[in-house]
Order: sequence, then C-alpha cells, then structure tokens
Amino acid sequence: MSISSDVILSVRNLEVVYTAKKKIVHAVNGVSFDLRRGETLALVGETGAGKTTIAKSILRILPNPPAIVKGGQIIMDNEDLLAKPETEMLKIRGKKIAMIFQDPMTALNPLMTVGDQIAESLLYHTDYDRDTALEKAKELLEMVGIPGERYCEYPFQFSGGMKQRVVIAMALACSPDLLLADEPTTALDVTIQAQILELINKLKQEREMSMILITHDLGVVAQTCDSVAVIYAGKIVEYGDKKSIFLNPAHPYTIGLFKSIPSLTEDVDKLTPIPGHLPDPTNLPPGCAFHPRCQYCMEKCRSGEPEYVEVEPGHIVLCKNSEGVKV
Amino acid sequence: MTTPVIEVRDLKKYYKVPMGINCAVDGVTFTINKSETLGVVGESGCGKSTLGRMIIRLIDSTDGQIFLNGKDITHVRGRELKKAREKMQMIFQDPYSSLNPRLRCESTVIEPLKNSGRFKSKAELHEEANRLMDLVGIDYRLRQAYPHELDGGRRQRVGIARALAFRPDFIVCDEPVSALDVSIQAQILNLLKELQQQFGMAYMFITHDLSVVRYISDHICVMYLGQMVEKAPTKELFRMSLHPYTKALLSAIPTTDITKPMQRIQLKGEITSAINPKPGCRFAPRCLYATDRCREPQKLVEVSKDHFIACCRVNEIN
Repeated sequence: MSISSDVILSVRNLEVVYTAKKKIVHAVNGVSFDLRRGETLALVGETGAGKTTIAKSILRILPNPPAIVKGGQIIMDNEDLLAKPETEMLKIRGKKIAMIFQDPMTALNPLMTVGDQIAESLLYHTDYDRDTALEKAKELLEMVGIPGERYCEYPFQFSGGMKQRVVIAMALACSPDLLLADEPTTALDVTIQAQILELINKLKQEREMSMILITHDLGVVAQTCDSVAVIYAGKIVEYGDKKSIFLNPAHPYTIGLFKSIPSLTEDVDKLTPIPGHLPDPTNLPPGCAFHPRCQYCMEKCRSGEPEYVEVEPGHIVLCKNSEGVKV
Repeated sequence: MTTPVIEVRDLKKYYKVPMGINCAVDGVTFTINKSETLGVVGESGCGKSTLGRMIIRLIDSTDGQIFLNGKDITHVRGRELKKAREKMQMIFQDPYSSLNPRLRCESTVIEPLKNSGRFKSKAELHEEANRLMDLVGIDYRLRQAYPHELDGGRRQRVGIARALAFRPDFIVCDEPVSALDVSIQAQILNLLKELQQQFGMAYMFITHDLSVVRYISDHICVMYLGQMVEKAPTKELFRMSLHPYTKALLSAIPTTDITKPMQRIQLKGEITSAINPKPGCRFAPRCLYATDRCREPQKLVEVSKDHFIACCRVNEIN
C-alpha cells in the first residue's frame, strides 16, 4: 500500500492481546487507519473497547506481560515503530510522539516540582543546559495559562484543571509531531473542560500538530475533531470525517450511541439505550461482534467476519447489512 | 395542598478547617413533592454531595431544618432516626466502592430486608430479593455473583435494588450515572424514570451533567460554592436561564450538533473555595458582569413562578 506524503502515522492491522491467567483477552483485533499532518482523529467507544490500548501500542508503553502485540505495523516516517529497539523508542517518546494521560492527578510525580518535570524531557531530547531548560519550562507554563513563577511549586499546590495544563505543557515541551490525548478532560468540570479544549485547539493550529483524541464524549468529538473512528470490541466499526459520522452515521452501534445521549436542546421523553453490554473480550461472539446487541441483526451477521463497506467516499463501515440500516 | 416529601429550610453545613471556616453548604431551601425529581447541578466542590448526605442524615447539619413528609427530622436520634432512614435511601456515585466486595449480589439486597423485620422466613426474604432484582433487571445467572464479577452498569442496578428494599419515599441519587458509558447510562436513566412512575418516589438527583439533568428532572437547582444561585422548572431553565453562572455552565457543554459552532462564554479562572467567603456573591470573582453591588449579600428572588435567582443585576444583564 502506498502511503501519501502528508500521512504522518499509518497503523496497519494492529492486533494486541492480554494474557490473563489461562484466558486470552482480545483487546485490539486488526485496526488500521492513517493520520494526516494537522489532522485530529477521535477514537470513540465504550470502556474496554480498546481505545487506550491502541494509543499505548503506538508509544510502545504497554506492559509486557500481560500485553502482547501480536501483529501489525505502526509506520511513522517510513519506519515501523513496532520493529524498533527500545533505545530508539526512547528518542521518539516525548520528542516525536507525546501523550496526555487521562488522570492528571496520577500522571505527575508528586515529589518533583512542575518546572523540573517539564524540563525533564527537554534535558533528555535537546542539548539545553538546566537553566535554559527551566527558562523554557516557564515559557511553556505561561503558554498554557499558568504564571511562570509557579514553576518551583509541587503538583499538590495546583488544582485539577491546572495539573492537566501542566501535563499538556509537558507533552508539548519538545513540539511533538503527534499528540496522543487519552481522555484529557474527562476528570475535569465542564467550565474547565471548555478552557482546556480551547487551549488544545489553539496550540494544535499554531504548531500544525496531528492529534489522536481518545474520548467517549461525542460532544467533545464534535467540537474538536476532523475525523472519527468508532471502536467496538477492538475493531474500528465505522470511520469517516466528522460530518459524515455525525450527520449520516451508518453503523448500528454508532447510531445507538447517538440515540443514548440525553439531549441538551430538546425535550426527550425516553432515551433509547443500546440493549445489553460489551461482549466478553476473552470470548467474542462469532460473526459481527455487535450482533447480539444489534436491532438490525440478520442471519448472515451471526457467522463469518464482516468486511468494510464504503458507504460514501472516505466513509467506511464494518457491517454486513449497511443497506438495511436506517437512521 | 399536599405535604412535600422533603422540605429543607435554610440548611447549612460549616466545617472548621485550619484556615478558618469552610461554608460547604450555606443556606439552601427547597421542597420536593411525590413523584418529582429535583436536579442539583454544579461543579465539584460546590457542596451538592454534602447537601444530599445531610438530608438523609449521614452527616449532621450546622443549622437549618429538614422535614420528611412534614415531620422535622433534623435532630431525631435512635429508633426514630432509623425509622426516618427507612423512608430515605441513597444511590452512590461509584458502583465499585459502594457495594461490599464480600457479599454476593443477592445478599447485598437481602441485608436491608433482614433489618426491616418485615419478613419471617428465609423463603420470604429470597422471594422479595428476587422480586426487587427482577424489577431492576439483574439476570438470574448474576444473582449469586460477587461485585467484582460485574461491570459498572450491573453493579449500579444492584445498588438501586438495595435502595428500593425499604420501599422509600425519597432517594438521593449522587451522580449515579457519571461513572458509566453513554449506552449503559441511558439504560440506568430509563430504569430510574420507570421506577419513579411505578412507585412515586421523590428523587434528588445530583450531577454535573446538564444533559442528564434535563432528561430526568422536573426542577433544577444550580449551586455555586455552597449557595443556590438559581432554581427553576427544567423547561424554564433551559429556555431562559438568568444567572450568569448558569449561562456559562450551559454554554460550556460541548454539543453534538456540528452544524452550529459553539458560542462559549469563557469563564475566568477556576472555582475558588468556600473557606472564609466574603459576604457578597461568591461567583463575582469569575463573573463577567460583576460590579461593586455584587460584594453585598445576594438575596434569592422569585422572578417568575417557581423561578428563583440570586443575582442583583439580573434585570440589567438579561
């Protein structure tokens, strides 16, 4: 497959399993996508769908054991990250690819000042001396809206929203090409969430950075992303640009997700939830993994893997019954 | 006029902290009628959980009164408190830590039934427990499971079954769906609504998610740093919110409507603390419209029927 020049990351058939006791958890089952320069891709799905596992395998920070990357390629700058030795990965983490973790309370080292934590990656990846790195750390703090003179304070002296800003400053320290943001605002209040999303959007535009945003909040997706991949049981079940997914969802799961959100602008008498629960990842159902919960389920869905269908240009869906599904 | 199920008058909770006094809840007044839901919204630290816990007497109030079915329960003790608690139950935020990890689901539901003394034999207990678990939709095969074997949604159902065991008149739901995924969240919200239609309980629904509160509540009370800043019927609040804080809160929620760009009212800074608050409006330091008058104490004024607001500049702003 040829990869066009503006694609900065290309994930091909990624497969990850976790071994737990004697069971095998199929966390990611053949995920492929491309990410262009400056694009923001949202990975949307329920807890346990495999979103975070995908992000962590890109950075190669999955704990092994229990996690094993069984197959696939993650190509960045014509090199397969999965084939690189650990010493090479150390040069990529924090420099080319950076990650914002979900919980700002645990992502920071409580025994280090925030300035030192931001300067740490600068000292590792650049030839700055300590004073220049700290100066730069102060600038980064100012950039995310924290007074620079607070660089010598410890994480406990900051509130949740400010800690998340510090984590963002750390991630952006070396101007990465790709930012992985794992639920960056889930732990925050809405008014603070609005501030952080605004900040991320602004920085992204200034630096032409690509981003993978992991979230289960479709509202956040609508306000920040260019394209959307809906993940279910470790597979992308629908992929397309934001418009096609929001205005013309085609997979029964995506449609179900939209219907289960209470509306902020309309009065709804009754929500229509998706019945049932996520399947047991150690024992995925045969055929389409979503079929036990799907209201459009037909006989052919119960056996045999479904294949991707292109319902409109660039909008693909993993469903055998894509013509029969109506919004 | 019928007696409201719950009435609180000028309820307060102050904590002594090394820096002074933390006014966690400061003068909250409302009533909830049978079959009605009051949604309480606000950011973390605004005192919504403290308020809920105070009403069902898990913590003592500093000042004010609580009435359950017209009876003052603010200071009842011993047997009378036990009796009152049977009529008030709570569903907790975190279904992972609010269930005893060593009890099977069935035992968790049986526990309060045993205490109620309504049942003579074991068979009757099991029958009632099964009836409750049918009601909330827990599968037969899961009734002997331990909490760690269940996911969040199913655990929350066990928590609801337990809360229903005493046939309460009033349930405090403290963020019951915020730990759940949207598809499961919708299941639980529908369940709570159905149960209310069936049994006519009053809910106090604490949440920070305004779309959830719009779906489930009849009235909404918006809190900021321990004080009520606005209270209105749900429809009215979403049609015409008046307090600057409510407006900012509503505008900050990312909508799924991609055709309309968001018009966000950016708030300055973050929620401050309720420790040694100044007498004026507590929202003033972040408010776009703050003037000198906002430094004086604010009164809750009824601007239209059932629509209360604590803001001295309400007429000028809107």
